[in-house]
Amino acid sequence: MQQPILKHLIVLAGCLLLTATAAAQRYVSGKVVGPGNEPLAGAAVVVKENKTIGMTTDAEGNYRLRIPDNKEYTLQASFIGYVTQSHPLQTGQDRMDFAMEEDAIGMETVVVTGTRTPKLLKDVPIVTRVITADDIRKVDATHIGDLLQAELPGIEFSYSMDQQTSLNMQGFGGNAVLFLVDGERLAGETLDNIDYSRLNLDNVERIEIVKGAASSLYGSNAVGGVVNLITKEATEPWTLNLNGKYGAHNDQRYGGTFTFRAGDFQNSLNVQHTSTDPIEVGTVGKDGEENDFSRMYGNRTWNFKERLVYTPTDRLKLTGRLGYFFRERDKSTSSKDRYRDFSGGLRGNYTFNKRSDLELSYSFDQYDKSDYDPAQDYDLRDYTNVQHTVRALYNYAMNDKNTLTVGGDFMRDYLMSYQFTDNGDHEQYTADAFAQFDLNPIRNLNVMSSIRFDYYSEADVKNTSSKLGIMYKWRNCSLRASYAGGFRAPTLKEMYMDFNMANVFMIYGNENLKPESSQNFSLSAEYLKSRYNVTLTGYFNLVDNRITTVWDQSRNGMVYSNIAQMNIAGLNADVAAKYPCGLGVRLSYAYTHVHIPDGEPYFSSTRPHSATAKLDYGKQWKNYGFDVTLTGRVLSRVTTDEYVSYTDPDAGTTSTTYPAYTLWKLNLAQRVYRGIRVNVVVDNLFNYRPDHYYNSTPTTTGTTVSVGLSLDVNQLF
Amino acid sequence: MKLFRFYQILGLGAMLMSLPACDGILDGIYDTPRTTNGYGFNPNSDGVTGTLFIDATDYAQWTYINLHTEEIDSTRITDESGTEVPMGENASLPEEWDFALHRYDVKTNGGAVLETEATSINAVLLMSSIPAGNYVEDTETEITIDMSGMMDGNILYATSDYNAELAKWLNVDTSTMPPVYTLSNKVYIVRLKDGTHAALRLNAFRNAQNTSGHLTIEYAYPLEKAMK
Repeated sequence: MQQPILKHLIVLAGCLLLTATAAAQRYVSGKVVGPGNEPLAGAAVVVKENKTIGMTTDAEGNYRLRIPDNKEYTLQASFIGYVTQSHPLQTGQDRMDFAMEEDAIGMETVVVTGTRTPKLLKDVPIVTRVITADDIRKVDATHIGDLLQAELPGIEFSYSMDQQTSLNMQGFGGNAVLFLVDGERLAGETLDNIDYSRLNLDNVERIEIVKGAASSLYGSNAVGGVVNLITKEATEPWTLNLNGKYGAHNDQRYGGTFTFRAGDFQNSLNVQHTSTDPIEVGTVGKDGEENDFSRMYGNRTWNFKERLVYTPTDRLKLTGRLGYFFRERDKSTSSKDRYRDFSGGLRGNYTFNKRSDLELSYSFDQYDKSDYDPAQDYDLRDYTNVQHTVRALYNYAMNDKNTLTVGGDFMRDYLMSYQFTDNGDHEQYTADAFAQFDLNPIRNLNVMSSIRFDYYSEADVKNTSSKLGIMYKWRNCSLRASYAGGFRAPTLKEMYMDFNMANVFMIYGNENLKPESSQNFSLSAEYLKSRYNVTLTGYFNLVDNRITTVWDQSRNGMVYSNIAQMNIAGLNADVAAKYPCGLGVRLSYAYTHVHIPDGEPYFSSTRPHSATAKLDYGKQWKNYGFDVTLTGRVLSRVTTDEYVSYTDPDAGTTSTTYPAYTLWKLNLAQRVYRGIRVNVVVDNLFNYRPDHYYNSTPTTTGTTVSVGLSLDVNQLF
Repeated sequence: MKLFRFYQILGLGAMLMSLPACDGILDGIYDTPRTTNGYGFNPNSDGVTGTLFIDATDYAQWTYINLHTEEIDSTRITDESGTEVPMGENASLPEEWDFALHRYDVKTNGGAVLETEATSINAVLLMSSIPAGNYVEDTETEITIDMSGMMDGNILYATSDYNAELAKWLNVDTSTMPPVYTLSNKVYIVRLKDGTHAALRLNAFRNAQNTSGHLTIEYAYPLEKAMK
């Protein structure tokens, strides 16, 4: 008797619910159009608060959504290449049209570096700068240094001792800026800088640059910023690009990339070879002063990258990669410096459901240095850095607004070096765990907070770093504020060095070093309206316990030590505009002030003012297209202190001024037929030549011309 | 089936992970450091050719080589006029010697030197007669005896005899830091004070640990006998 009653009650309740739903549900329809009211077919329209309600527009750009109730919602329309639009939907409203604007300046690009989860560039609360594949193609850069210096102010790649490349990014050196390839670190260093020539720009989808500390996500070294190169995914059934470049000083580059997709597999293979002759600059400069070097060494490199992706199910993606790098530097006819790298990795990405996904990866990287004697065919290795890393990363979307990211890494770091006693070796283990919360408590407000704990076995460092980023959007403006902690653990080199520096002095490591730490505060305002983007960023960094070598009279040598605090304050301004006629302009300026406590010598060679300018104009037709790009960089002069006597710091310092300089480059990229592109680059347009060559002069000998050819073989068919 | 394939891939992954050794891979592509029988004369079985290993790392030291007796002696340079004092157990300065080494500097005991185009001792031994030409005698020069003040521009020098022809075996370009070393790889004929000849070739200036100042010299002496 009880059962039939219950059944009736359930049926009744169901009917009531259905009736209520039927009464409250409504249909909203509208049209999505692009510039000139042209309908956009295939645009996605969704309810922002419940993304399961959505559809794509038909051939006329029309859509019709069934909304389950009569509440207020936000409708969002998006389409690749257009700026995503969101509008509030009032109760009772049944029509909403969208007039989409083209994303002329790439703010709809998905970026990952600032947050370790994919986010649109305009939505990321950490100021991120992106250099696209198109930018790389237009300037036809071979070296990442040339590209970064042309695109961003405040970046200077120069020589340090022995013509080794050294980076300065707004006051931070090579060991304070973390370079990643698809999120992976690079093993090996020379005078605190990684081997930048490993960063082959072929087959790169984009480069993301995040300035400011990022240790709460990336751990050690991310004190001044992170530069992440993202590799292209194969999207076509097959592609084959062959490219070459020839320029002054017999500067040559040959590259090839082959990609294919077959069933569940996609593969990309890239090979690149570069070579350049030595450049003689003489022992004395134009001003009669002695050059720091008389010859810039020649180089040749080989770079192989192979990546295979297997997607057996919609949920699982497995990626395997292998890499080989070789560089030989012609130091003299009887001695060549060789650098090799072997890398490999496996990564699995598994999507549990719409809300959560997991990434597990293993990465291997080995960077070797050897001295080669060609007369005797004798190749003797004197340095190897081997890193094995295991990583886990898990994302969980608690609801449509908030996301939790947790992860951890474990790394074994092995270093054998000629700078250790009897070419010895040392190893250490590092482990870390981190968590990030991506919260959207109210509309237009995004709060990103993260915390990370790092452990380094040899230095016995236990470090906690945190970050808080807040972004508030108001009309076309975005305001961002962030605090970030940075740290750099003492390296095996800094702890155990025992090196006789050419019989001049010894350099000793120090096992009692404390980690470098930094506090980074940043405030940024961005104005974004279709073709225009203006960004203004101010920041302040407190860097403490900096690790460097200090003269120790009692040991008659240099000893790695923690030294006084340094403060770096700066301002970045960036204005970009892109017009439908094909004209684009970008002006960027960076001001950097390095403050060292009173009474301490001022050793920073960071140039206070620097600016970059880029003007490009392009038109495309069916069988012909061109892009003319003019880029310029202006660097102010800098005055720095140098010790009168390295081995007697008490003798005081003397001040040295390095002059300002300006370099311009003109690039004409032409597409002469489907898939055939010819690039002509005139570098150092106004024939700047330094008065004499010193380590931080640009390595130019005056105006040079290079010609490049790129062939997309698959487009010819 | 799919699950099986997944585990196959996992297994393959685990196998690949275990492949690279902890301390790196492909050691075999490099040469193994040469081992020597220690410093000094390493004569070949023919009794007239061999290899000399000299530790010339000390800027304040001369190493004297007697090819006749296969003996090696050293002295210490004490001042900028080039005054030398005996080293070790020796009570007196060497008197009987043929050539001497100080870093890559070299002097002869009243001899003279000719640079040949030959790049191996064997090539010289195959010649029909001892090469003739302009044999160059020693001259006076300044040699570096203390580098420790280099960073302050305060290098100490001493006056010394010096054979510029034989010193061509290694070119040291100090216009860059660190200096660039270029071996000539050529064979040098030394005409000794007693009229006999020796053939010398600097093979290497670094030891197995790549530290510079460790010389490997191939020699043939007496050349008159070695060429027969």
